[in-house]
Amino acid sequence: MAVLRIGHINIRVMDMETALHHYENVVGLKRIHEDSDGNVYFKGWDEWDKYSVILTEADSPGMNHIAYKVRNDADLDYYKDRIREYGITVEEVPPGTLYAVGRALKFNLPSGHEMYLYAEKEFVGTDVGSTNPEPWPDGLKGAGAHWLDHALLMCELDPEKGVNKVAESTQFMIDVLEFYLVEQVTVGPDGDIQAASWLSTSNTPHDIAFVGGPVMGFHHCAFFLDSWDDVLKAADVMAKNNVKMDVTPQRHGITRGYTIYFFDPSGNRNKTFAGLGYLAQPDRPVTTWTEDQLGSGIFYHTGELNEAFTTVYT
Amino acid sequence: MNSCAGTCLRYTVTIQDTNETFEVNETQTILDGMAALGRKGIPSGCHGGGCGICKIKVLDGEYQSLPMSRKHITPEDEADKIVLACRIRPCSAIVLQVIGVMKKSVLRRGYTLGAPVEIQHS
Repeated sequence: MAVLRIGHINIRVMDMETALHHYENVVGLKRIHEDSDGNVYFKGWDEWDKYSVILTEADSPGMNHIAYKVRNDADLDYYKDRIREYGITVEEVPPGTLYAVGRALKFNLPSGHEMYLYAEKEFVGTDVGSTNPEPWPDGLKGAGAHWLDHALLMCELDPEKGVNKVAESTQFMIDVLEFYLVEQVTVGPDGDIQAASWLSTSNTPHDIAFVGGPVMGFHHCAFFLDSWDDVLKAADVMAKNNVKMDVTPQRHGITRGYTIYFFDPSGNRNKTFAGLGYLAQPDRPVTTWTEDQLGSGIFYHTGELNEAFTTVYT
Repeated sequence: MNSCAGTCLRYTVTIQDTNETFEVNETQTILDGMAALGRKGIPSGCHGGGCGICKIKVLDGEYQSLPMSRKHITPEDEADKIVLACRIRPCSAIVLQVIGVMKKSVLRRGYTLGAPVEIQHS
């Protein structure tokens, strides 16, 4: 039984036209479908399932849902029971409820974020195919993102009220969906408050992350690039297109990733993620960052936490 | 790059709280114009109308608006000229008051990463 990876994310944008330009010409995803409700679907060139990003026009930005792919159809029954037994309401939606996706489970994380699990999504293949493939396809746009890599969700955390949706959501991912903890930030006088967590279900440093904040929300979704050079070029593409960068190319201490934080035209934070810094494994010791070194954890070079990291999100 | 090569109109923006003034192109948003000159005064966030941190009240002047999050700016706010600085372009000189930080601390109680928890940590 296994959750394989992040499958897709549904992001709300306030102006579809500018969003299309951003995700197509800056991030470099391929636009593959528009449904009758006006939702637009995108795919990274190195992904083999039909799509990984859905844009929905709305009057406020943020995330509608996040979906993960499980290995087999039977896994859905297995996880459905586990989610219900954990005390969380879970609904099974029929095939096609999500475009080009088979039956799916729909539920909310303890943090409130809506999540789906599915086993099947229409297969279309990568842009270089699977027989004697070239290393990359011609005609890539913008940053030429390979795939949707992970997302970071902001969860309500108020130690004085005893509210910690980071810890609750982390525990759910571990106990029910069988993710494992890779890195964490602990804070508080006794260093025992889990204020952020990075969890994996594969062998990359994170497939989902949670950070505590005043209200729940969407912090970012990340797109994979191959190398540091690709990250630099991506930043050039962003500058050319007047994309607001939150943090220019930099290394994260946490996950060791090469990153750029930037915003889509509706203020949703995106990220490039390159440099699979280590092999994540369930038996690898959990990395813990303490409050006094938090700056280095987030932005390794400056060692300074910028205020926007925790206060600016949709 | 977005530039009008000296051919577009520039308007003076005044932040009433600090008396800070700077010039903004008609093609720029007020926040982008402030940031491009390295000036401060309005909190800078996503620059896309999403995070709400740059909330201001326009006390005087005309402007054009781009879409902004209804989580942060209601239609009533907009009628009262309470807007996000990253979503308005000036059509005249502008005088404004910053309300972003104040609103943020009122509305967004609770923990932010890096803030002290209870008293002191060892």
